[in-house]
Amino acid sequence: MQISRNHRTDKTFFQLNLNVYLSVFFILVSSLLSGCTQPKLDAVNATNSVLPVADSRNLPEVIQSLIQQSDQQYLNKDLSGSLATLERAVRINPRYAEVWSRMAQIYLQQGKVEQAKQHAKRSNSVIKNNAQLKAFNDNIITPNSAEHLN
Amino acid sequence: MVKKKAKSRKAPTKKRKNNPSKKKSGLLGLLFNQYLLSGLLVFTLSLIGYLFYLNTKVVDKMSGRIWSLPSHVYARPLELYQGKHLSVEQLKSELIQLEYSQVKNRPIKAGQFRILNNSHFELISRDFTFWDGRQKSQGIRLSIYNNKLSALHKLYSDESLALFRLEPVKVAGIYPATQQERQLIKLEEVPDDLVLALLAVEDRRFYTHWGLDPRSIMRAMLANVMAGGTVQGGSTLTQQLVKNLFLSPERTLTRKINEALMALLLELNYDKSVILETYINEVYLGQNGAQQIHGFELASQYYFATSLKKIRRDQMALLVGLVKGPSWYAPRRHKKRAIERRNQVLKLMLEQGALSQAQFNKYSHLDLGLASKPRLSSNRFPALIDLVKRQLKSDYDEDDLKSSGLKVFTSIDPLIQARAQASVKRVISQLESSNKKAENLQTSLIVASSQQGEIQAMVSDRQPSFPGFNRSLDAVRQIGSLIKPAIYLTALQQPQKYTLATPLDDTPLHIKTTREEVWSPQNYDKKFSGSILLHKALEKSRNVPTVRLGLDVGLSDISDTLHNLGVARNIPAYPSMTLGAFNLSPLDVANMYQTFAANGFNVPLKVIREVLNKDGRPLKRYPLKSHMAIDEKAIYLVNYALHQVTQSGTARSLAKSLSPLVAGKTGTTDDLRDSWFAGFSDDQLAVVWIGRDDNTSTGLTGSSGALRLWTDLFSQLNATGEVNSFSLQPPVGINNVWIDEESGALSEKNCSGAVELPFIQGSEPTEKAACKSAGIIEQIKRFFN
Repeated sequence: MQISRNHRTDKTFFQLNLNVYLSVFFILVSSLLSGCTQPKLDAVNATNSVLPVADSRNLPEVIQSLIQQSDQQYLNKDLSGSLATLERAVRINPRYAEVWSRMAQIYLQQGKVEQAKQHAKRSNSVIKNNAQLKAFNDNIITPNSAEHLN
Repeated sequence: MVKKKAKSRKAPTKKRKNNPSKKKSGLLGLLFNQYLLSGLLVFTLSLIGYLFYLNTKVVDKMSGRIWSLPSHVYARPLELYQGKHLSVEQLKSELIQLEYSQVKNRPIKAGQFRILNNSHFELISRDFTFWDGRQKSQGIRLSIYNNKLSALHKLYSDESLALFRLEPVKVAGIYPATQQERQLIKLEEVPDDLVLALLAVEDRRFYTHWGLDPRSIMRAMLANVMAGGTVQGGSTLTQQLVKNLFLSPERTLTRKINEALMALLLELNYDKSVILETYINEVYLGQNGAQQIHGFELASQYYFATSLKKIRRDQMALLVGLVKGPSWYAPRRHKKRAIERRNQVLKLMLEQGALSQAQFNKYSHLDLGLASKPRLSSNRFPALIDLVKRQLKSDYDEDDLKSSGLKVFTSIDPLIQARAQASVKRVISQLESSNKKAENLQTSLIVASSQQGEIQAMVSDRQPSFPGFNRSLDAVRQIGSLIKPAIYLTALQQPQKYTLATPLDDTPLHIKTTREEVWSPQNYDKKFSGSILLHKALEKSRNVPTVRLGLDVGLSDISDTLHNLGVARNIPAYPSMTLGAFNLSPLDVANMYQTFAANGFNVPLKVIREVLNKDGRPLKRYPLKSHMAIDEKAIYLVNYALHQVTQSGTARSLAKSLSPLVAGKTGTTDDLRDSWFAGFSDDQLAVVWIGRDDNTSTGLTGSSGALRLWTDLFSQLNATGEVNSFSLQPPVGINNVWIDEESGALSEKNCSGAVELPFIQGSEPTEKAACKSAGIIEQIKRFFN
């Protein structure tokens, strides 16, 4: 009995800690996403989870798998690796606007605003009937247009 | 004398005054002693200083050799995924280049593969550290149908894979500090018999002496005196290594002394095994054109096209025999001498017990076993490796490079490179045999991924594996009509003034260049059409309307456009520049046309993707740098015309010979000296130059020369479905309008001579042309177009 109680106590303690960890992690991630660099992106981030781009379910499996891998690297704060993985996707097929747009966002997170704008333009140049993504890119190119999104 | 001396001792000052000669002799002794002492001191100090100097030199050079591993240059990794264009032969070739072994049964070890029914592959990849981390060995199976990867699964499983990345082919090893290419081998990998033979022949007491071997020096001196000349050397391996590392081949006493001192120092600083390993990797063993063959491993590749680990003992004996005189015994030129020398070594091996009598008898009667073609991995893609080296050199300082063992990941695509090399060989010889004037042609071919600006293949010589002058980077030639798209682009960036339908004056033109000289540009056919629409002038590559247009938009604006397109060189501002009378390298041209191919986005061409240090940690990444350099609407109009060039213009042969749609421009210079073609599909860009090194006429135009090579390459790429049609997707703000082909005024679809052209919104013509109904034949033609 004694043992099992202790066990329960430990578990509760662990769960409590886990919650604390999760909250700290959440705060960390959200502070990262809320962009210490670009406060104007708040509107965009609010509408998205990890990397805020429109639906990528219609992309080929190979591109989706690279996007997932890039997301994982992004969550692990490996922004450079995340970019390198998206470049692999661009090499396989450079005509997916979602991929260029993700690259733009990572550049923005890195504080490389000009590169971010250029990649958003690149995304726009291959975009097909995707108003949400276009508005998103436009917001990176001209930050004042954030209102479009809300 | 004694008295005098005694006196002098008593009153030295006085005596000195009275008897200077006496003083002199006494002082001389003293001074002599002092000079001798100080001389000795100075000599000793200088000697110590000199030894220190030599020691630093020895340690510096040796550490550069032993501790610096070669940097490895890797090709792009092959990405495998469903839908990937790939033939069975290509995948097999990639796996063979990766040194995978083909097995008949199921692959069970990393680095094995098998092919079933000539369409299914099973393979087990190897562990490999990429820039983004370690990828563990994995078994996969895949199917290829109609040159397309149709299914990809884990090996012995139904689990499908979205993507699998094969490890990249190693294309070269670069010695970073010297930028030389070497093939190194570790001592433990060197066959024992080779070491035994080497020591038996060159230095029997290697493991007991201190760098010098007085006994063998005496023996050599004796032999030389008896023979009345130098017939034998008494140098130890250590001395020979010193000679290889530091000194010139001249035979002077100073050099001999230095050599001896340095050999002693080398032995003081390093282990015998280190010295022996360095010797084995350093010793000079032959000459391949301009390239020196250093080290036994490279020599084994050069003479026998296989690794040192795999050669027979008679072949080892030959290599060991070559140490004495690689040019005197050069096996490919002096077969008899080489066999004699090899047999001498075999005999020594017999004496040392490395061979039995039977083996000796067998080996000494064998042929030399030379490979017909030397295999030097350094020679596979010399132009590309040169580019990699230059990029490394410009980005890293000497210390970074000395840190050595770098892993350099590049965009080199061995499968495209192989086809580029085949095209060059095939087309250059075809051109020479079908055209009397065309001889001694030289060429450059660059292939790049147009959207990412990555160089995939490069050939800089008609013999692609010849490591000479890198024409792709260093041959700067007039570009002729390749300039024209930049001039038309400059004009079309002013839509209020110029459109594709603007009529241009095609009548004789005379421009005063100096007080006395007048320049009168001519069209290629020496005729004038009176007036021609702007898009036609570009398609047909008309010179005179282009010069007029160029002068109208302004030479400095054209120069600005060229810089925006990615040309870094200074462009001269004289009228003939409008016909490309200025020099660019093929790489400059590729940079310029990349921007057209990527619809206005400039991505400076590069070959290195990432660099890892020797521990596999990321050192530097070269990210994709893309920027919108030109307005996408204006570039769309030029690209429309460049596509027409391949349909009805100077490169119209492409419309018949290549099914995917492409765009491009021919270029020809005065007296047919240079033949150019720059063209692109959706994903790939290639630039071809054909000319002669002495800059004389080739007898070829852009269409009859460079275009043929370009077409040959793209036909090969297309054979496996790798060419994606140039999509010409109009950006927002482009309207298509029917115009009259004669006047450029508005017309209608059903009117005779009407043609549909794209316009930047708002720039469409407003004036209407008279409409004469198009005949039935014209309408049918249009329908099919």
